[in-house]
Amino acid sequence: MNIAVLVKLVPDSETRIELQDGKVKDDAFKYILNPYDEFALEQAVQLKEAHGGKVTIVSLFGQGGDTELKKALAIGADGALVLRQPDYRGDRPAANAALLAEALAGLAPDLVLGGLQSIDFYQAATVPMVAHKLDWPHVAAVQKLDVEGDKLTAQRQIEGGVQTVEVALPALITCQKDLVKVRFPALRDIMMAKRKPFENRDVAEAGAGDLLPTAAELPLARAGGRLIEGETVAEKVEELVNLLKTEAKVL
Amino acid sequence: MTTILVIGERDGDGLKLASLQAAGAAATLGDPVGLVMGAGLGDVPQALPAPRVLATDDPGLEHYDPARYAAVAAAAARESGAEMVLLGGTAMGKDLGPRLAAALEWSYLADCLEVAAGEFVRPNYAGKVLVRMKPDGPVVATLRPNAFPLGEGGAGAVEAFAADIPASRTVTTSIETAGAGTVELTEAGIVVSGGRGIKEEANFQLIRDLADKLGAAAGASRAIVDAGWVPQAIQVGQTGKTVSPDLYFAIGISGAIQHLGGMTSSKCIVAVNKDAEAPVFKVADYGIVGDLFEVVPALLEKL
Repeated sequence: MNIAVLVKLVPDSETRIELQDGKVKDDAFKYILNPYDEFALEQAVQLKEAHGGKVTIVSLFGQGGDTELKKALAIGADGALVLRQPDYRGDRPAANAALLAEALAGLAPDLVLGGLQSIDFYQAATVPMVAHKLDWPHVAAVQKLDVEGDKLTAQRQIEGGVQTVEVALPALITCQKDLVKVRFPALRDIMMAKRKPFENRDVAEAGAGDLLPTAAELPLARAGGRLIEGETVAEKVEELVNLLKTEAKVL
Repeated sequence: MTTILVIGERDGDGLKLASLQAAGAAATLGDPVGLVMGAGLGDVPQALPAPRVLATDDPGLEHYDPARYAAVAAAAARESGAEMVLLGGTAMGKDLGPRLAAALEWSYLADCLEVAAGEFVRPNYAGKVLVRMKPDGPVVATLRPNAFPLGEGGAGAVEAFAADIPASRTVTTSIETAGAGTVELTEAGIVVSGGRGIKEEANFQLIRDLADKLGAAAGASRAIVDAGWVPQAIQVGQTGKTVSPDLYFAIGISGAIQHLGGMTSSKCIVAVNKDAEAPVFKVADYGIVGDLFEVVPALLEKL
């Protein structure tokens, strides 16, 4: 089975966000693999190990990020195709999906896996948009995936439950956290990854279709910090319940 | 006035609260037209507060299928002359929204916190930044559950809307739900979450007891999800759910930035932690420094 995995580089979740002239200052961002995409990658490698085939990483980014993308190769992908866009932005799902769909059509995979969402903009939009462009089915927020022949069985997380869906390949899947446990690559895998095919491909500037921010601001800091005083636990709890009823009016 | 298509998502015999909130937001912006999709809809479309509600009732729409639902919703958006589509940010809404935006070739905005004439506000970087967007063309937007008031009333007139339902390569073979009486985390008015401070798996029962007492949903921090004590479906935070209830209890949760990202849009936050320096107290409206094994039983008694 020929599997493509969509991998996005995102700012580290520990990143301190600062604004300058109403824009997020992003020149010093440190990028990591989007954690949800790591689950997708591990799932792809496990499917390859069980059924044979190959796994290709497909990513869209500006310049750099090679070290992180090679880490992804070390998890067990066979090669990487990195689309390089000079004016790349992570918050343009429609334009980014158009480029990714075109690249995927060239690879003609049987299955495309990606993360449910990325931890920068949380739109959960790119993969469903790619699916529409390819006119393929997709299943989102999958927490368990089985493949038998050319049929997938996917369990998808919904409110308070699970929807089980059977899909005929080719298809796209977005992976929920904890779908699989991501392995730590051994030193040997990291060394081998350096010799795997790693294609950089220049792509056109983004097309239209996305709305970009006109202003950015930090959310109002919550007042916070009010500790409830009292001699005993019972006193504190009584005061808390009182405040929730009379001051916050939420009980 | 702008015509706004509101997707009414079926929930048993009624509609999701998030859909009723989307209808409420739409009424403040323009003329809402509803769309309810499903099989054997009965009176369900009547529950959507909009003067005109389209209903597409077809066996092929019994379960959510992204390609089919997007095709019907795109047809309804075109037929109604809508310039905007609003959906509640549910599991379905967050998935249908982008596919529908791609089908219509409209811009897409996810998880909006504010919607006013010509301006949308949504979070970036897990809520660390809020960005403003000014649409200059048609948009599809999902709204964060509980961030908007419910629309009032019901449907004015319900019309059958016949749409071509495309062939599908997916089939839903089962839906399993946690059962009646379970409060859904992202829709709950009150959420009670537990973290590492509960010390062991069995003690999560204390969190559940408090949630039951309050008619609340139970949530969890990443630490105890990763420990395998509770399912990932109830994780609150950057790699879990984002919640905005009226009241959020963080119990035995230190308040890592990744957790705070999932709950700081709650209206009122209560923290219980034995460490007075825990960062969660910086965002809590009310904090109790103390042993949760004493505080929670006292709360159960007092409520």
